[in-house]
Amino acid sequence: MGIFSSANRNFVIAYVLLVALPLLGLAGVLRSGRGLVAPISVDGVWKFGADGANLPAGRCGKSLASLQDSLVSISQSGKYLVVSLKNGPPAAGSGVIDGTTLNATIPLPDISASEPGCGGDTMLALRATVTAKAESRSMQGTISVNECPTCSTMSYQAVRQTRSDRSRAH
Amino acid sequence: MPDMFTLVLQIAVILAVCRMVGSLFRLLHQPRVVGEMFAGILLGPSLLGWLAPHVSAYLFPPSSLGFLSALSQMGVVIFMFLVGLGINPNELKDQGHAAVLTSHVSITAPFVLASFLSLYLYPKLSDNSVSFTNFALFMGAAMSITAFPVLARILTERNASGSRLGTLALACAAVDDVTGWCILAYIVALIRAAKSPTPILMTLGGIVLFAVVMIYGVRRQLRRFENTYRKRGALNEGQMAFMLLVVLASALCTEALGIHLLFGAFLMGAIMPKENRFVRYVLDRFETITVTMLLPLFFASTGLRTNVGLLVGREMWLYCGLIILVATLGKLGGSMLASWLAGMQLKEAAGLGILMNTRGLMELVILNIGLDVKVISPALFSMMVLMALVTTFMTTPLLELVCPIRGTAQEPTTAAVTLAQLGMKPVNGSSA
Repeated sequence: MGIFSSANRNFVIAYVLLVALPLLGLAGVLRSGRGLVAPISVDGVWKFGADGANLPAGRCGKSLASLQDSLVSISQSGKYLVVSLKNGPPAAGSGVIDGTTLNATIPLPDISASEPGCGGDTMLALRATVTAKAESRSMQGTISVNECPTCSTMSYQAVRQTRSDRSRAH
Repeated sequence: MPDMFTLVLQIAVILAVCRMVGSLFRLLHQPRVVGEMFAGILLGPSLLGWLAPHVSAYLFPPSSLGFLSALSQMGVVIFMFLVGLGINPNELKDQGHAAVLTSHVSITAPFVLASFLSLYLYPKLSDNSVSFTNFALFMGAAMSITAFPVLARILTERNASGSRLGTLALACAAVDDVTGWCILAYIVALIRAAKSPTPILMTLGGIVLFAVVMIYGVRRQLRRFENTYRKRGALNEGQMAFMLLVVLASALCTEALGIHLLFGAFLMGAIMPKENRFVRYVLDRFETITVTMLLPLFFASTGLRTNVGLLVGREMWLYCGLIILVATLGKLGGSMLASWLAGMQLKEAAGLGILMNTRGLMELVILNIGLDVKVISPALFSMMVLMALVTTFMTTPLLELVCPIRGTAQEPTTAAVTLAQLGMKPVNGSSA
């Protein structure tokens, strides 16, 4: 006489095969997944500032200059980004992050409508290199008018806002 | 202060759209709740924001969403209390090996498959602020959940909640939900502890202590509600207010412990007395405002966070398809295989698998928590919401096709009664 009846034995076998073994597999997956690298985190609100004293003066220069001290919101899903101006138009731009290089387009600020040769469907192109130190993030790069080589370009730097930065701003 | 005009306008529009779409889905033999979930998506950036961005910006300005979200969260707190109320451990006993095996496999199969899928999705849809372990565990918990209320609703509509298949499905779904919520509590505690000065062991110890006090201490005191109801046939306003207060106090405790409001509300419901008439009475008192007003706000709030537009290109739709496939394979396939091995006939086992694959509202609750703690990204959130909609929507037609169960009218279990009502329709009532 065994300890288990036939039904109990079948149950134990099924349980081991369908529950215990997969759980071991889960442990293996969690272990092997630790080595995976996900894109650098840039999600959050960024405060932009022009780099140096040279504010752009050419076409759409006023629009670019208005980005000085403005807040830009980045929503991240892996390497894909949705970029929008805080308190700007409801439309949002998009972008990608590849390593530490960020490329994105953002809609022109509302002020552009009053600037000759600006506005409409024109978008700004944002190119930057992101620097990561623990939780803090900063980026440095250029903003130009998308597909307009004759338009102004502005160098900028931006810092990701922490929760306390944002509450101070309010 | 909220802009009251905007807030009231938002509530009115949400209720109207949810009722309309819910009624349309009733015509398709779908539970109203599925239509309301869908209505929420229609009101968000996926449709209204895309078709009429200025109307959307006028109706749902970003500054107003905090108030709408707070109201909807209150609804979900009460809803989770009612879901906990419907879980009766006594009805889970005596289900035998089939229930144990099926319920455990219906958790482990989707959980493990989701973790395998995470190996592929993590580098593509997450970022380095989230650890792989948290990402994979969350995906596992989110895929292994079953919408107990919707499942009970479908069974009750078919008079099948007292059948072998019905009781087994309800028992398994209850085990799944309790397990899923425990895993989720652990993940949320881990994530929040990483950003908090309190050590994780202290957080986990606090949670365990809280659960022990609730189960072995507070639970006894709650019998007073049932005793009063038995003597007087009703609870007065003061007692109902006190019941709401203890729910809120429990929710606040779990929030303060570093998990989430909803866990406390769920636990309070789970330890409430389970006498059938008492449960029905409490449910009736809370149901109207929760189901007709606050839950639609939650669906809209979820819809406003769901943006199908984030799924750009074939690659993203491929990920979404994979998520739906893996979720269905794990839940439907796992439950079906386990119950078949446990001795069920193949058709009946398939029926159980289909029922267990219903995710509905419970999935949305979990996904919102995941987005709040930033363990999932907005695009992944949108994909998972689509998965919840698809798996819930497919339940009724698939069941009709594969295993058209129809029982005879009989007294349903407490869980079935409670959760069928939560599923938006009284057991013996007219169409909701």
